[in-house]
Amino acid sequence: MDDLVAARATMGFSLGFHIVFAAIGMTMPFLMSAAHYVYLKTQDTVYLDLTKMWMKGVAILFAVGAVSGTVLSFELGLLWPGFMQHAGPIIGMPFSWEGTAFFIEAIAIGLFLYGWKRMPRWLHWATGLVVGISGFVSGIFVVAANGWMNSPAGFDWVNGSPRNIDPVAAMFNRAWLHQSIHMQLAALQAVGCAVGGIHAWLYLRGRAPAVHLKAFRIAMMFGATASLVQPFAGHFAGERVAKLQPAKLAAIEGHFSTSSRAPLTIGGLPDVETRTMKYGLPVPGLLSLLAHRDMNAEVIGLDKFPREDWPPVLVVHVAFQIMVAIGSVLALLAVVFFWVRRKAEFPRWFFWIVIACAPLGTLAMEAGWIVTEVGRQPWIIYGLVRTRDTVTPVPGMVYHFYLFLALYLGLAATTAWLLRRQIMVVQLKWEGVR
Amino acid sequence: MIDVLVFFIGASLLLYVVLGGSDFGAGIIELLPAGRLRDAQKQVINRAMGPVWEANHMWLILIVVILFMGFPTIFTTLMVALHIPMLALLVGIVVRGTAFTFRHYDAVQKIPSQRVYTLLFGVSSLWTAFWLGIIAASLNRGTIDPTSRDVWTAYIAPWWGAYPVTVGVFVACIYAFLASIYLVGETDNGELQRRFIRLGAWFNVLVFLVGALVFLASLGERRPLPAAFLQDPKKLAVIVLATVLFVALWVLISQRRPMLTRIVAAGQAALILLGWYLLYAPNAVLTTQGPLSFYVEAAPAATLRQLVIALVVGSIFIFPSLIFLLRVFKSEDAHAPAGESADE
Ligand code: HDD
Ligand code: HEM
Ligand code: HEM
Repeated sequence: MDDLVAARATMGFSLGFHIVFAAIGMTMPFLMSAAHYVYLKTQDTVYLDLTKMWMKGVAILFAVGAVSGTVLSFELGLLWPGFMQHAGPIIGMPFSWEGTAFFIEAIAIGLFLYGWKRMPRWLHWATGLVVGISGFVSGIFVVAANGWMNSPAGFDWVNGSPRNIDPVAAMFNRAWLHQSIHMQLAALQAVGCAVGGIHAWLYLRGRAPAVHLKAFRIAMMFGATASLVQPFAGHFAGERVAKLQPAKLAAIEGHFSTSSRAPLTIGGLPDVETRTMKYGLPVPGLLSLLAHRDMNAEVIGLDKFPREDWPPVLVVHVAFQIMVAIGSVLALLAVVFFWVRRKAEFPRWFFWIVIACAPLGTLAMEAGWIVTEVGRQPWIIYGLVRTRDTVTPVPGMVYHFYLFLALYLGLAATTAWLLRRQIMVVQLKWEGVR
Repeated sequence: MIDVLVFFIGASLLLYVVLGGSDFGAGIIELLPAGRLRDAQKQVINRAMGPVWEANHMWLILIVVILFMGFPTIFTTLMVALHIPMLALLVGIVVRGTAFTFRHYDAVQKIPSQRVYTLLFGVSSLWTAFWLGIIAASLNRGTIDPTSRDVWTAYIAPWWGAYPVTVGVFVACIYAFLASIYLVGETDNGELQRRFIRLGAWFNVLVFLVGALVFLASLGERRPLPAAFLQDPKKLAVIVLATVLFVALWVLISQRRPMLTRIVAAGQAALILLGWYLLYAPNAVLTTQGPLSFYVEAAPAATLRQLVIALVVGSIFIFPSLIFLLRVFKSEDAHAPAGESADE
């Protein structure tokens, strides 16, 4: 592995790790607040138990999110000094607001976790909600920073450095809106469905079923609602990408030659050597329709770009197919959920389906980020600065990579083990109570 | 504009040292043998640090964000030359934060796993404090060489030497000292209070001795500390005052005035930071190519304006809620029956 590859791998790995916990941090507080709300309204202590169980999970996961986020803010400089040199002053603004939001989040979580019986009840409830809101808002800010890398704005590029910086315009770049909407829905969807799956499993195991059924309902309400909206948000993102980053769109679709009435290939593997798609099912005109709302519109292909400016087509295309396939499956799941929900009881097969779908949302989220980030290559700032020109001059980046790989794998294993213990102990306690 | 930012950096650094420092120090204290007080001590530390560790940790992130947005050259220079210590710092931060939280939230509070968490928490606290000191000492040694690509001169020599190492130890001692002072007021258990007081007194002496060593070690540097301080009455006054406070603290600790002791200890930390700043101001970093000044390396005005707005508006939200956080927990904690777990 050369230093550039190692740095890219480290960045991708750290971000892919962080995003899981970030998504949990943005979603779980809302589930928790919902359960807490019902408890305060009805005094049904099952909801209190549920709130506390989720809360302990959140405390554990939040710590992992916080430390991995800290690592990221250093890594921007440790790995990409050439990027931060230019980008810091331009996109620092969303990061500084993000910092503010995190601060409020960190304070609120302290109040919520340790504030039982120390505050008026509804104030305490509100601190839990504030954790969710500030996490959610900070997520939007970071994604806006990422949007700027995809669609740079708010400066003039003069002789290889930025002039006339306008941080506000940079933050509200042309990619921030579609990326934020899509990402925030992804978080709700991924975490909602995963939590729903876990509780479905525990419910079927027959221990303390009342609690798990309630947990299942709350989690799936969030997960299913987001899943229904997500394909529309995804389509919106696709349209924007067609406009803003035609090379990325072409890679996503394995679209090698510019053409009107461009086909959308379902599945398939792009072959860069022969510049063709293999094995896919092409639907004529659909790509033109989806990208430009016109069956006959011209869609720019990779042939319009010098070979060295192509992103890795295969990776981007496959990741995109995975994301869209999962998006479709989960949307279907959501429809079924709202349909069976009207019955008195959920059928058993439905729980099994949700269990099977539990990991899918997270998988789609990772795949989506691969589309966005790998699809931007070879640019770190789209069209202006190449990733390889900004990498740190420090040698031996492989060791950096292995170090963090080992650290994070250990952390992930410990976290999983802790959560398992958590669930086991709660189960035993509830069984004792019954 | 730049003044405001430098103020925010300084204030965040101070709060990070005082609040975050006592949090690190608590970990260091847990490394020391405590006999049968061990469990009680752990309870107190969990209760005192649990609600605030997340917030304490944010000061560091704030500094990083201000640096990369407002002073990108300073940020990138440090991240390149001090890559290795920064990496060490990050590993420490990751292990520390998670070990502390896991210890508290592990559903099965069995002895072996708890021991492992405590050990990890302690070792990583010491480790992180040490590397923070190394980084702080390396800023102004004039050994950072941005033009070199030789592994030794570019990435190791900047932070290698007796002086950074002593500063690393010094920071660890200050943190342990601050933690002892802080923890005295956090418990009603008389035996434990006496332990923290004893530790506070010991660390007070240790800080003084290691502080003297720092001066000694700096004689081998390009810019020895004693000469630098003697140059200017203002700097001298700060350092003399900081030294006098050692004696004051010594007395205060034995008189059992937890609140006053805390304030004076924080004041001393502030004086040490102030002395450090005066020594080099307005330069943040000294490289072989000359100094990097906050006033020269700042980002364009439009950026600085947005940064200041974000910080000021942020403070309006953050400070009241932070004070609220501290009040909710501190007002009762000292009187809560021992062993009460806050989250039940
Ligand atoms: C649960 C997760 C999930 C699901 C089901 C989907 N996506 Fe997605 N997608 C993401 C999670 C995601 C993401 C991880 O959140 C990304 C990465 C960056 C971003 O803003 O969102 C993303 C990026 C992303 C992009 C690139 C945006 C850019 O680079 O600016 C496009 C074009 C789509 N998606 C399109 C879709 C379509 C048409 C879907 C159909 C159902 C879909 N996504 C489902
Ligand atoms: C958390 C979700 C994210 C994930 C999973 C993710 C994933 C990745 C991956 C896989 C890469 C390597 C791409 C390659 O080199 O082929 C990468 C690169 C990078 N990402 Fe992201 N990313 C995320 C969000 C962000 C955000 C919010 C930013 C902030 C501004 C960002 C900044 C970067 C930078 C600076 C690089 C290195 C340069 C490059 O390779 O283009 N990423 N990311
Ligand atoms: C380069 C990219 C990123 C950087 C530098 C970064 C930085 C950080 C930092 C410093 C923290 C710790 C805050 C604390 O101590 O409480 C954090 C946590 C968090 N981050 Fe990121 N982050 C990045 C990407 C993302 C993305 C893409 C999202 C989501 C869309 C996200 C959402 C969150 C959330 C919700 C938390 C709260 C902690 C938790 O819930 O576990 N971050 N991040």
